[in-house]
Parts: sequence; C-alpha cells; structure tokens
Amino acid sequence: MGYEPQADFGTPEVRADTQVTLTIDGRSVTVPAGTSVMRAATTSGGAIPSLCATDSLAAFGSCRMCLVEVEGMRGTPASCTTPVAQDMIVRTQTPRLEKLRRGVMELYISDHPLDCLTCSANNDCELQDTAAEVGLRDVRYGYAGAHHLGQQPDLSNPYFLFAPDKCIVCSRCVRACDEVQGTLALSVEGRGFASKISAGQRADDFLSSDCVSCGACVQACPTSALMEKSVKEHGKPERAVITTCAYCGVGCTFRAEMRGEQLVRMVPWKDGKANRGHSCVKGRFAWGYAHHQDRITTPMIRESVDQPWREVSWDEALAFTAGRISAIKAQHGARALGGITSSRCTNEETFLVQKLVRAGFGSNNVDTCARVCHSPTGYGLKTTFGTSAGTQDFDSVMDADVILVIGANPTDAHPVFASRMKRRLRQGAQLIVIDPRRIDLVRSPHVQAAHHLPLQPGTNVAVLTAMAHVIVTEGLADEDFVRDRCDWDEYQDWARFVSDPQHSPEFLEAVTKVPAAELRAAARLYATGGNGAIYYGLGVTEHSQGSSTVMAIANLAMATGNIGRPGVGVNPLRGQNNVQGACDMGSFPHELSGYRHISDGATRTMFEQDWGVALDPEPGLRIPNMLDAAVDGTFKAIYIQGEDILQSDPNTHHVAAGLAAMDCVIVHDLFLNETANYAHVFLPGSTFLEKNGTFTNAERRIQPVRKVMEPANGLEDWQVTQALANALGLGWAYTHPAQILDEIARLTPTFAGVSWDRLEREASLQWPVNDQFPDGAPVMYVDGFVRGKGHFVVTDYVPTDEKTGPRYPLLLTTGRILSQYNVGAQTRRTANTAWHPEDVLEIHPLDAENRGLKEGDWARLASRTGETSLRVSVTDRVAPGVVYTTFHHPETQANVVTTDYSDWATNCPEYKVTAVQVTPSNGPSDWQEDYAGLTARSRRIAAEPAE
Amino acid sequence: MSGTQDRLVYMANQIARNFAVQGEAVAIAATARHILDFWDPRMREAILAGDRAGLSDIAAGAIARLQASP
Amino acid sequence: MTAVRISDDALALACGADALAAAFEAAGCAVERVSSWGMHWLEPLVEIDGMGFGPATPEDVDAILSGKSAKAIGPIAAHPFIAGQQRLTFARAGRTRALSLEDYERTGGWAGLERARRIGPEHVLDEVARSGLRGRGGAGFPAGVKWRTVAQAPGARKFIVCNADEGDSGTFADRMLMEGDPLQLIEGMAIAAHAVGAAQGYIYIRSEYPHAIRKLRDALKLCADIIAPFTIDVRVGAGAYVCGEETSLLNSLEGKRGEVRAKPPLPALQGLFGCPTVVNNVLTLAAVPHILAEGGAQDYEARGTGRSKGTMPIQLAGNIRHGGLYETSFGITLNQLIFEIGGGTASGRPVKAVQVGGPLGAYLHPGQFDIPFDYEAYAAADALIGHGGITVFDDTADMAALARFAMEFCAAESCGKCTPCRIGSVRGQEIIDRILSGGRQADAVELLPQMHNARLAQRSQAEEVQLLEELCAVMKDASLCALGGFTPYPVVSALRHWPADFGLGAR
Repeated sequence: MGYEPQADFGTPEVRADTQVTLTIDGRSVTVPAGTSVMRAATTSGGAIPSLCATDSLAAFGSCRMCLVEVEGMRGTPASCTTPVAQDMIVRTQTPRLEKLRRGVMELYISDHPLDCLTCSANNDCELQDTAAEVGLRDVRYGYAGAHHLGQQPDLSNPYFLFAPDKCIVCSRCVRACDEVQGTLALSVEGRGFASKISAGQRADDFLSSDCVSCGACVQACPTSALMEKSVKEHGKPERAVITTCAYCGVGCTFRAEMRGEQLVRMVPWKDGKANRGHSCVKGRFAWGYAHHQDRITTPMIRESVDQPWREVSWDEALAFTAGRISAIKAQHGARALGGITSSRCTNEETFLVQKLVRAGFGSNNVDTCARVCHSPTGYGLKTTFGTSAGTQDFDSVMDADVILVIGANPTDAHPVFASRMKRRLRQGAQLIVIDPRRIDLVRSPHVQAAHHLPLQPGTNVAVLTAMAHVIVTEGLADEDFVRDRCDWDEYQDWARFVSDPQHSPEFLEAVTKVPAAELRAAARLYATGGNGAIYYGLGVTEHSQGSSTVMAIANLAMATGNIGRPGVGVNPLRGQNNVQGACDMGSFPHELSGYRHISDGATRTMFEQDWGVALDPEPGLRIPNMLDAAVDGTFKAIYIQGEDILQSDPNTHHVAAGLAAMDCVIVHDLFLNETANYAHVFLPGSTFLEKNGTFTNAERRIQPVRKVMEPANGLEDWQVTQALANALGLGWAYTHPAQILDEIARLTPTFAGVSWDRLEREASLQWPVNDQFPDGAPVMYVDGFVRGKGHFVVTDYVPTDEKTGPRYPLLLTTGRILSQYNVGAQTRRTANTAWHPEDVLEIHPLDAENRGLKEGDWARLASRTGETSLRVSVTDRVAPGVVYTTFHHPETQANVVTTDYSDWATNCPEYKVTAVQVTPSNGPSDWQEDYAGLTARSRRIAAEPAE
Repeated sequence: MSGTQDRLVYMANQIARNFAVQGEAVAIAATARHILDFWDPRMREAILAGDRAGLSDIAAGAIARLQASP
Repeated sequence: MTAVRISDDALALACGADALAAAFEAAGCAVERVSSWGMHWLEPLVEIDGMGFGPATPEDVDAILSGKSAKAIGPIAAHPFIAGQQRLTFARAGRTRALSLEDYERTGGWAGLERARRIGPEHVLDEVARSGLRGRGGAGFPAGVKWRTVAQAPGARKFIVCNADEGDSGTFADRMLMEGDPLQLIEGMAIAAHAVGAAQGYIYIRSEYPHAIRKLRDALKLCADIIAPFTIDVRVGAGAYVCGEETSLLNSLEGKRGEVRAKPPLPALQGLFGCPTVVNNVLTLAAVPHILAEGGAQDYEARGTGRSKGTMPIQLAGNIRHGGLYETSFGITLNQLIFEIGGGTASGRPVKAVQVGGPLGAYLHPGQFDIPFDYEAYAAADALIGHGGITVFDDTADMAALARFAMEFCAAESCGKCTPCRIGSVRGQEIIDRILSGGRQADAVELLPQMHNARLAQRSQAEEVQLLEELCAVMKDASLCALGGFTPYPVVSALRHWPADFGLGAR
C-alpha cells in the first residue's frame, strides 16, 4: 500500500432506518437521514474544504470553511453542522462561496508561519491543502499585524511536540481528548484572539498534565501544531502497512507508516473494528524497543549458565540445541521435555511451538503464559457456557446500560477499550466497580461509578454470591430466560444455595468488608438497569478461586438474562495481545487447538494423521508443575518462546530453582531477559513489526500481523521454531504463516473458515468461523449455548490459605500501569519510562503513618516467600490494610514476594493476595543486590567467537 | 509448601474443597475427574504412591477411585 | 404620617435614592420602596399621593414636604413620558413593591398562570402563537413556534432557561423588570414550563446585576409554593458578553466554557444538558402573563405593525435629554422617540447618529429616523432592533473611532471558536487604522526576497476600504453566531453614512 492518509468524511457515520435523497452540485445523493451535508458530499465524491471537521469527532462548525448554499435557506450554512433533508438542493461551489472561503483562509494565513517547505507537516497538512483548494494567492492583511508567532514549542512529551504558533485553534485536539479518549486533559485557555490550546493548568506542560499520551490529539491535528517527533526527525512516510498491535488484548490495528525500512510512526487505523481509530501510549508510540541496543540478533549458546555467552551461527546454535534435546530424550524420555508458548507471538508461532512439543519432543508438556493470567477464564466459561471465550465484541459496550467492572482496571491495562466504555458512560450508562482499589473509572471527568464495592482482596466469590442472593431473593432473576436457555434444575439448586441467609450481603459483610446496602443497590442495578454487561480482568482470575469467580460471574449473567445480544455478556479483558489466540491454539497441556481434550481419541487421531506421528494421550505438565518436576529431576529441558517466567511467575526463588535444575533451557526472545540468566541457548526473536501472522484479541477477533521490515536477526519467530524442528528431523516446510493458518483451520472446527486470503479481504474475523457461523460471531449464544443448556455451577466461597497475621498484617495486590506493559521488556526500553521509571508501593496514609513512611521513602516489602524493597506512594486509593504495586521492573521483582498459592482448578497463581509486612528500608534489599550481580555475570557475552 | 508430594496433596485437597459444596459423592467423582483431566501422569502416580495422610476425605476418596480405575 | 414612595431600582440608588429615603424617614415620613417609573433623568423620583418630585436630593425634602419644591412634576401618571406609553410588560413600573405578593396579586398577578393551568398546555401554546409574541432578545423568533417545538420534542426532561445576561450598551429593561417586577418574570416562566412540560427553570443573569440577583432569589422564595412543582434556580454569569448568545449561555450553565455551539441542533430540541429547552429573554417571558390573562393574546396581537406585534420596552440612552424606559407598540419612529419623547440630546448639540440594538446594531443616520420600529423594516435597512436599546450620539462623535470600537468590542468579547470572529475582528481594527492613515506600504515580511508571491506595490486607501468591506462580508456570512455576524453592521453603516470620518470622500 502506498502512503496516503485515510479518507476523512468530515463527520461521523450516521445509522438510520430512513434514507434521504438530495442533490449536491447537480448529482443525486442518497444517505441515511441525519447525515451531514458535508459527509453526503464527501461520500459521493465531492469533498468540501474544511479544517475543524474530522469524522472521528462530532461536528463543531468553527472553521467556517465548509460553507455551502442551500436552496430555500438563508445565508451560507456550514455543511458539517447542517443535516441533509429530502429533496434539498445544495451547491458547494459558487462565486460567493469561493470568496467567503478565500476570505476565511486569508485570515488564517495572516497568523501562520510561512515556511511550509521546512515544516514537518509539509505536504501532509490540511491547512496547506485547503489553502491550495481555495486558491489563496494574496494575504492582503500583510504580516505586520497581531499574531501568535514566535512562541516556544512544548517539547515535554517524549513522543510529540506542541508548537502553539502553528495552531489554528480548531479544537480538534481538545475534542479528541474529550470525545475519543475521554481524559479531558486539554482545553482552550483564554478567549477570542488569545484562545490557546492548554494542557491542564496554566503552569502545566503536556507531560505534567493529565494527558495520557494516547496520541488522539496528534492524529486529529490538521497542521503540525501537534506532531510526532519521529516525523520531524525522519520526514513524511512513503508507505503504510496495516498491522495489529502487540501490546494488550484489545488488539488495535495500526497503519505502520514507513520510509524504507524506517518506521516513521504508528497511526491507529480508522477501519480497525477493535479500536475504531483510537490508540494508547503503548501501541501508538512505544515501539522504539524494536531498535533498542539491548536487542540480541545473533544466536548464543553456553555449556553451563556460569559461563559467558558465545555468539554462534544459527546452524551451530540449532545443532547444539537439537543435540541436547535428543540426548535428554534418550536418557530421560519425552516427558522430560517441554515448552512454553507466548501470548505475545502470533497464532501461527504459538501453534508451531505446541506442535514442536507434542509432535517433536513427544510430550504434552506445553503451557502458555495464560496459565498465570486467564486460564480460569478458559475453565470457567467452558464449564458454564461451553466456550472458553468472552461473549461479546467491543462495540457491544455501546449498547450497555449497566456496566459492571470487576477486578479490572481498563484505563490502565486496556486503555483503548476503556475510552469506548467511558464514551458510553458519558452517554448515561451506569457503572458498578468491584475492586479493592479506587481505580480511575470510579471517578474521573464526566464518569462516576454508581457503586464502588471496595472488597477485601480474595473475597470475589463471596461478593458475587451475595449479589446473586439479592437478585434471587428479591425476585429480580429473569426466570423466563433461565427456563428457556439454561438447565432449570441446576438453576434451582444454585438459587437455593445463594438464597441461604449465610450468603446475604449483611452476613458476608464481615468477610467482604463491603457495606451490605451498597452491595444490594449494586445487585439491583445490575439486574434491573437494562442491558447489563460484565467486564473482568486478572483481579478475578489470579486468585485461589479464580475459576469459581469466573463461574460466579457467568451464573449472574445467566440468572439475569444478560447473555446473547449486544450490550450484555461476560467479557474477559485479556492481558496480552494474543492470550485468546495462544489458548485457542492448543497451548495448554491437556488440550489441542479449539479446546479439545488430548484424551479425546477422534481429535487426537485427526492430528496424528495430519502430523504423521503418534501423540501422548495423557495431559502434560503445567508451568508450576514443570518447575516442581525439574526440582525433582524428572523434567530436564524447556523451550520458552517470548516469555520471561522468572520475572512474571510467582515465587521467583522457586522459578529460579526449577530453571537452575534443568539441563537445557532455550530462551527465544528479543532480549536477554531474566529467565535467560538460567538459559543455555538464546535464540534471537523478531518483533511484531518483523513478521507475518495473526493475533486474536479479547473479542475473539483474528487480525493479521504484517511484516513491515525485515527481521533484525534474519528470521521470523515461526521460522526459528521450524528450524529447530528440522534440526530435530521433523522436516517441516512452511514458507508462509498462511500455510500454518491453513493447517490450524483444517484441524480446528471453530477456525474452519479462517484463511490468510480471507483476512486480507475482510481485515478481521471473529471465531467461530465455520459452516454454522460463516461470517463469524460478534456476539455469542444468540440462539443458545454451545453446550446446549447454560450450566449453573454452585460456587462456594473458600477463603484463601494466604492469611494475614501479626507478622504479615497487610494484603498486597498487584497490577499494571498505563505506560508500562507486563514485565516491561518492551516498554522499559522506550521513552515510556518518563511516566513510570520504577515500581512503587501504594499504601494508605494510616498504614504509612503507623510505619513512619512518607511519600517517596524506601520500604521493605516482605512476605512468607521473600522480600524486596521499593519506594512508597501514600494514597487513599487503596483501603487501609491493602497495599498495591506493579511488576514491570526486574529491579523490584515484585514476584519475589508472591506465593505458590494458585487457583484450585487451573493453578493460575494467586498474585492478587499476598500477606505482607511493610517496614522502612534504606534502599534495595540484599537479594536485589545479589540478583543484580547474578544478572551482570549471566549476561556476559564472550568478546570473540571461541572458534 | 515444601516438596512436590506436599504440593500435590495440597492441590488435591484444594480441588476437593471447591467441589465439596456439591455433596460428598459428587465431589469425589468430580475431584477424580479433574485430576484425570488436568494432571500429568507422573503427578497422578506420585500421589497414588505417596503418603495420603494429609488428604481430606473427599480427596482421599477421589484418589482411591483413581487407584481403582486409573 | 406622610407616605413617600421612592424607587430602590439600581439606577435610582446610584443617583442617591437611599440617602433621600433616609432623609424622608428622618423627617418622619413612612417611606415605601417601589419599582422605578423609568424616567431616568428624574431619579431619584419622589412620589407622594401620585405627585412626583425629581430629581430629588436630601436637601429638597423640606421643600417637597411643604409643597414648595421646584422639583415638582405634577401627577406622575399624567407625565407626557408616561402617558404616551402603552405599558403592558411594565404595567407595574413605579406602582408596586418588587417583593410584595400582595401588590402583585392586587395588580392582576398570577391571573395568567391560573388561567394557563385551567385551559391546559395545548391552549397556552395556541394563545402564545396567536399573540404574535416574538423573542425580545434580538432575533425576533416567534415564541409560540419555539414553545411548540419544545413541547413536541421527545424527552422526559425539559427546561425553561431565561436569558438575563443583558449586556448590550444602552439597555436596562431586563434589569428594571427583574428588580421591579420579578414575580412577573417568574410567572411567565411558570406558564412556559406548564406549556412545554418542564420541571426545572434557570435564570442566567450577569454578575453585574447584584440587586436583580437578590430580588430574584427573594422573589423565588416567596412564590415557591405558587409555581410548584416547577422550580427555578438563579445562575450568575461570569462577565462574558458572548454568554448572552443562547448556546454559549447553555454551555456556561452546564459549567463549560462559554463557547458558542453550532446550530442545528436547535436548543429547542437539544438544549441544556442535551434536553429540549426553551431559551427566552426576560422581556419575552415577562410578556407572557399578560398574554395569558383573559383576552390578553388578542389584545397583544392587535397592537403593533406588520409581523411585529404587541409592545416593545424601548430603552432610550446615550446622549439624550429624557432617557429611560419607553414601552410602546411597534411602529414608532426614531424621530418620535428621540425628539418628541427624548427631547433631543442632553448636550443640546445636533444628533449625529443613533445606534439601535446594542453594540452590534447599525448606526442610523438622521435621514433614516423615519423608519418604523419594526423587525422587518429595520432588517430591510441593514439595521437591527435587537433588544430595543437606543443610544444617541451628537455631532462630536467620531464614527470611524466608533466603527473601530465595534471591531475592538468583538475582539474583546469573541469566544474564539470561529475564525471570522476570532481573527477577523483583530484584522478589522488594523484595517481601520490603515484606512485612517491612508493605505499601507508592503511590510517587512512581504519585502523579503524569499516572498515570491507577495505584492510589493503600495495598497491604496481605496483598496483597504475594499478589504474592510470584504472582511465584513466574511464576518457577516461566515461567523458562527451573531457576535461576529453582526459586528459588521455598525462598521459598514458608519462607513456608508459618514465616510468623511474615515478620511474618505463622499461615497
């Protein structure tokens, strides 16, 4: 695709039942009623000059360039704010209009820099284009009058600059911040000629303001007043490639705008159905890690982990690896081998890794990082609904009347979807937040939760059961829906269980710490407020009852009939870009792609025939079990693609012990990550910019990832896996991920209709895509549940065994922050560190005062498992007795503190509840200093190749 | 927790505890089924071979059932 | 004890009414503070048994009480300034106490609301439409049409918003009405609420009217039970002229920046907080109780001329001998208003120009003083009736300076949203300066050799005049609201009628 900006129709698309036909410049145009004259003109091939209009924002009518003449109407109305009418006759080009537009443009240019040729927006500037369109030839006012030129630019944001003298005060940035992002950080300061775009208060610059650097303002700016620094540095892009973001599970699609091999900027793709043209600071700007100096592009091996790394050829590295694996297999058997697939890699890469483990290694010891995030979602939703996935598309939120957010912090972790949600909330939908912390959604500009239930960490099931108690005992259940769609006997069992007085909000208040009246009100609102939609995240799953909580959520949705149509549903917000996909691809040790159990003979036979090998019919080891088995000596080798289990998995000491006990640890990654400290083989990986494939986002949407530049290491990740497979003698011959996708489709009924060609044509598909759902399924269970009748599961509240006591009196819960992502391997290697340079511990003022801690002090954070040190932030965002931190920085290693406790059904770690003590500290702990030394030793690379 | 055996007993008890609300008979069957579905053979072998003193009634029932028909 | 009536209107207070009242009290009189009759040159005006004395000072008290005052004007009601008026909206002016429910009821108060409740919303809408009442804020939009639009608009929540952000130069009728007869405005709003189905009303009033704010708030307390369940809140503006523009006013009421909204959507359909909203001026709403009283609509419709029905409270101000409030039927001429009623200029010099309709109104030349006061007749003469303010200038006025002031005013008050107003008003001042200095040479930027397309030759005065006219056309046709759109009226009218003031020959 060449570089051309995406078409802009000036005002948003209107959906209406009735069509209106009008005449514009003599041509007959038919559009939905309510469409603007501007959009009608543009869609029918006659764009009207404009500056303040853009189709992502409501019509504003300020620039006065788009004036038209309408027969029978006085004056010259603005086409952006004038809706079409039947039989309207519009003229967009008359001598009067020409004169008016030129007159307005003459005013603009009388207060604008004139050196366009050296402007970073040269030839990509709407003001320049419009001046050309209206034929401005003379600025009769001259240039000696009042003006705004010569003002200093605001360079504070690492990614974009604001040059006020290039600003035409169209308010597109302000409106983008309001309408698209919903942060309302920008405003117009002053009035009249003194009007000026302002970030926050007068003393603020962009960086110190509330701005979250989503880039919507930059995208909206018609000039170079708000401009990416990368464009200033590299020049205007010359081609654009549509691809999918590799950060969170929202799955935003972007135009990667390129000059040669140089990525100039990432701009959200307006036609992307997940993000609808919006972005966040990570996807939009934080791609610099792809070229970071830490990137390893040459394979490396070493005999033992106390040696320095040796850079070698691919052939040598693969031969070394294959040799070790074969030797271990010969000595210890196939079940001593395993692998971990990555939720950050493509479906095709993930599929190949699990295929390598199952068909090449010969074991089912394959797991994925979903083990530590959303494995309870898979278990819980499969058990209740029959499918391991969320029920809705993201668009669905725009039809929700009541939004229940539990254990999720969308404005930080899923910011682009959070903006959609906030848009709906501003339209009047009501919000219930169940979270121990006062997350931003609870109260932010023009958004206020109707109910915030600040529960005690670890009591999700109790809270949800109490809500169910209210719904059932107050007669608010949708029994017609239940009779029709669910198993009525099971429902009655469940209803009896939740109706027990011991499950009343009042009785459980002592456990949950949620005021009963507030909980009752929230339950009533969810049950009776119209379309009720539940969104949840890792605050639900990462508990000892993660799976029970997912099922409790599903119960609640079924009992209230909130399933099977737009605006309702149960929606897991997936942490990583391809968590859904990695799970779909058969990454779990007990199941093949499409969530079919390995013991199912028919399914296994299909794979065995396709792959030409016999498969082990027994489930394999999960990640924590692999580590246990390694310590026990029965698990010897692991191939880890794109994961850093040492930093991301709980109880770091235990992970380290497991890795240290293995004979062959193969890390396939962009960087020498923490896990690589214990690795024998390092295979350099490729970024999402360097490969083809597909990601599947949280709404089951499969979207293409396209190679925009050649891999720095010479190979895409799937090619590395294939090379390793071939070094083991498997004889794979894929030449493009499309062939792998074909294999997936061939072997997976829910993917039967998916192909690369079809994705090229349709941009995305939401599985299931097969004979029953030829075009995919944006909303699931419209006509019934996959498993037949919806299954109510009685979920008994079982308190976690992780208890506070005199030595560890506080509860630690962990999460993430907007600017950083997961273990930070990518975002820490970008300018995003400007916002979050280190992990900090949030602590309530009372708890801080009791410990003599002040804002910014170092504190020791200790649990029964381990300890670390970090700085504190004193805030009442957390309740007394609860502390919170993020796990983005290896210097902190928050997971040194977390425990081995995990979800009963899936072993998803209980990251969200750890009993801790916090005490003043002088700085990093001994462990942190030792670990820093280990890392330095382990990362040594021999100066010369050994040969 | 220390040692794989302790961990396996803990896991079995935890599974059993979450099924317990469904009544002992159902819970024993469900726990056995769960272990069969999700545990690697060496884990099953280890818990069958190991000391069962720490198992809850339901977990012990499930393990006994697995022993009878592995 | 002698009963003395003295106004507590802000203008009377500014002229010393409080000290005067105190002096009468000290002299043993019972002083009653009433609304103002609206004869500004006579304030503070003292009324004893219907006889007037003014302008009075404390020194006049003895003479007045002893019947020997030279300030006596005879029976006030018979004063030519009053006798010639047709006071409907200001029927109580000078006659009642602003916060006396008793006075209000005695003078026909609540009759309109009671009848409106009796006949039902549909008939109210009919009667307002039949009366021919048009918006008194300046646009002259038929109130009946607006109300019916709101009544028929879908939506559970609807609002009545009274625009009391009276900011035009030479206007004071809203202030006098709110200070002197607040209950009548409240009754009008209650009738509107009844007609369209609104439960909540707001009065958006400028902060410069502290007495009116206080009176309104007190009046609302007095009559809360009478207008219930309808409720009204008083909201105080923060000093922006543009917030008198209805959409800007709505933004300000919502707590947002006072920035104009594009129309459509009309406020009648999506107004305050996106709900259907009646936005009417004080005088529009205050005219309603009379219209809704028995036979009121017919009476109202019978007055006036053409499509301009009923009466207009005209405000005579500026350099005029007898300034004040003059309510009369449409159709009167400036000649009558300025010379017969107003007595010519206060300075005694010849009248040079009259600005009608506030700072954005055209300057009318004495040759135009025979145009009847009528929306359509004024529009035909490129002039405005606006809010009915008339500001008189004598022959010392510099019309070029006044034209420049129009641009300056626009620049100072522009919300900054639309380009013609934001930048055009600044350029307008610059051009007028250049016209006055005879044109301009190429500037330093234009002379740079890098500037290939810029014109190097001098721009003549005539070219600058043409540029000003073209700028005015752009502002008039392309501005988003009336602030930028009407600023050309005073500029172009000054240029047309008084070219010499711009250093130009007759045009």
